[in-house]
Amino acid sequence: MTKISRRSFLKFAGLAAGGAALASCAPPPAAPAAPAEKPAESAPAAAPAAEGGFAGVTVKMHAISGGNYEQLYTTIPAWEAANGAKVEIVFKGNGFETDKRLVQDFAAGTVDYDVCWDHTSFFSQYVKAGGLEPLEGYFTDAELADFIPRLLNAGRRDGSLWLIPRHYDISLMQFRSDLEGLTAPETWDEFKETAIKFTDPAKGLYGTQFAGKEEALTGRFYEVFTAEGGSLFDDKWEPIFNSAAGVKAATMFADLYKAKAMPPGMTNFVWDDVAKNFANGTIALYTEWPGWYGYFQDPSSSQVAGKFDYARQPKGDGNIHGGWAGAHGFSVTKASQHKDAAVSLIKHLTSPESLTIESETGLLVARQSVFDAVIEKAAGSGVPLDKKRLDLVLLAAQEDLKTPPLIAEWLPMSNIFYPIMQKIILGDVEPKAGLDDAVVQVRKLMDDAGYY
Amino acid sequence: MTAHPLAGDTQTIRARRTGSAESRLLPLALLLPGIAVLLAVIGFPMLYSLYLSFTNYTLTTARSFHFVGLNNYITLLKDPIFWQAFGRTVLFMTLAVNLEFLIGLGIAQLMAKAIRGRGALRTIIMMPMMFAPILVGFMFKWAFNDQVGLVNNILFSLTGRAHIIPWLVDVPLGFIALLVAEIWMSTPFMVIILEAGILSLPVEPFEAAEVDGASGWQKFRMLTLPMVMPFVYTAMAIRSLDLARVYDVVRIMTDGGPGNRTELIWTYVYRLSFSGHNFALGSAMSYVTVIISFLFTWYLFRNVLKSRWEGRQ
Repeated sequence: MTKISRRSFLKFAGLAAGGAALASCAPPPAAPAAPAEKPAESAPAAAPAAEGGFAGVTVKMHAISGGNYEQLYTTIPAWEAANGAKVEIVFKGNGFETDKRLVQDFAAGTVDYDVCWDHTSFFSQYVKAGGLEPLEGYFTDAELADFIPRLLNAGRRDGSLWLIPRHYDISLMQFRSDLEGLTAPETWDEFKETAIKFTDPAKGLYGTQFAGKEEALTGRFYEVFTAEGGSLFDDKWEPIFNSAAGVKAATMFADLYKAKAMPPGMTNFVWDDVAKNFANGTIALYTEWPGWYGYFQDPSSSQVAGKFDYARQPKGDGNIHGGWAGAHGFSVTKASQHKDAAVSLIKHLTSPESLTIESETGLLVARQSVFDAVIEKAAGSGVPLDKKRLDLVLLAAQEDLKTPPLIAEWLPMSNIFYPIMQKIILGDVEPKAGLDDAVVQVRKLMDDAGYY
Repeated sequence: MTAHPLAGDTQTIRARRTGSAESRLLPLALLLPGIAVLLAVIGFPMLYSLYLSFTNYTLTTARSFHFVGLNNYITLLKDPIFWQAFGRTVLFMTLAVNLEFLIGLGIAQLMAKAIRGRGALRTIIMMPMMFAPILVGFMFKWAFNDQVGLVNNILFSLTGRAHIIPWLVDVPLGFIALLVAEIWMSTPFMVIILEAGILSLPVEPFEAAEVDGASGWQKFRMLTLPMVMPFVYTAMAIRSLDLARVYDVVRIMTDGGPGNRTELIWTYVYRLSFSGHNFALGSAMSYVTVIISFLFTWYLFRNVLKSRWEGRQ
């Protein structure tokens, strides 16, 4: 056996330790380069993949999970069989978990997947981090023509297309049709009056409610505020939501809480809570994305089955209907080693056939042709509300749809705004003072982000 | 002549002291891989986050951040929410540690007196510690729910009137609800340590006190408490460190809200760093908090050592 001298051992140990230390201190892999403003000239022309066109390729996917979202993934084996490729889902989580993971992966440059779930409220962050591949070079106009235009445009910024929508959510007014005298409010002023009027503690009935935290609250304020004619920023990105419209919108929330027209714990509510409350019959009317329709109409889970109706969102002083919306979709990462295969998979997942399967889960799909077929099918269901709901959400998508501003700072801004809005609702601060404070903080955020 | 059993060791030590540089470097060389791993997983991230705290790094500008000096620390020192969260964390820690101590000491004292079933009792007492803090958070979030929660339902059963008390919203109910959850979850730890301390006490002083006619309270105050103090300080030091980084239960029950009403340091750090993407400011806040926690721990451990030393007198 060869003996190692003490000197040699010291040398090796020193080298090994030094190497390990150096390796640990090495910078992370270089982040992907900034996305081009225009599609790369070398981008392949759009064309459906030939059968077996990606033989041996494994496309890694970062996906959303839960709810009805996973039904679409049952179509993946068909794409694999047609292309001789494999799809590996490397992460699954709910929307907010997925977003946090994506933001961190793009920041750290540790993206090893090709396709990622995306959302119109979130994708600007990924674009700013240089994490996404612009998609317009991969799709022909004909391939994009069937998508509802406002939804498709909600995935564009800086002259590029970054996500292909699969389905969307948009607000509608939901109200109890079994409460005598309760009709859909035409304006947000009427909404407030109606909610206060129909509050009846003796019956355990609250006039209304909102999801009261995080982006759910910021987005709802944004919706009412824009309907009142307000604008979050001026054309130089100065925050101006402490305007008269902002104060009016914030005051509406505070007044409803003060009048006890909302459950006292509403500032802790998220989407599930408000849906359960409505299903339990404790809420007269509220504004919500109508994805819970099946749950509300199921007598085994809902006290209001067959006893509620939908209406278009009220208008504000700006003569604008509310229409806060967001679309789920897919994007290709800049770091992808198999961009053509990734695009092919997205085309498959957002094809009419796949979105028809998605529509069967009750999700509101992004293709006009599929949506029309869904409406036609609903017309024959024997339940008039089935069709009315779809007609309304389609109308809202075509005319009222408003995404939050397509900037990377939307969620950080919401993170500043919603605790202040909660303070306004709870009466800890006056609406104007709260909004003034929020404007100062958001201005600093925008300043730090290099907008001025 | 038989060599002294430690003679070899002494020679080795002497050789190390007087030997060549290689001999002196050998232990260091053997430790180097471990040191390298520690540097990689603890040292480097800490130094890197310290560096980040002097930059404008955010998650969406990770490729273009630059040095901003003490800006983040200045922002932090001027931030009223930070100081409120800091004060609330200290209050939370103080109340939780002391209440856990009082309740834990009471239970430990009773358990030490138990003649039969001590093992079963100990198992039952330890049960809350077996739940993940996140589950405890969900459980108490439900218990304090204003609509369908256990607490309001108990009040309804007792009084016959519907009580819609927003436990997780109103001041100071939200804070109290968090405190109850934390105390329920962690008092068993205090019980285990203090019971071990009480059971390890010598019996002679107690017998002598008995002969002298001391009452139960006198024995507890003059004997049990002073002698068990090293255990108390140890348990309190560990719990204080735990509580200084309390997060899970608060995140689930109130998430620091509503309107920052129950914001503690680490929920605020999370809000800034991950929800707000501002890693630089979050890092600065973490460093300020860690330094303060370090000073607090140093003070506590100094007292632990002091009490141990006094216990030997």
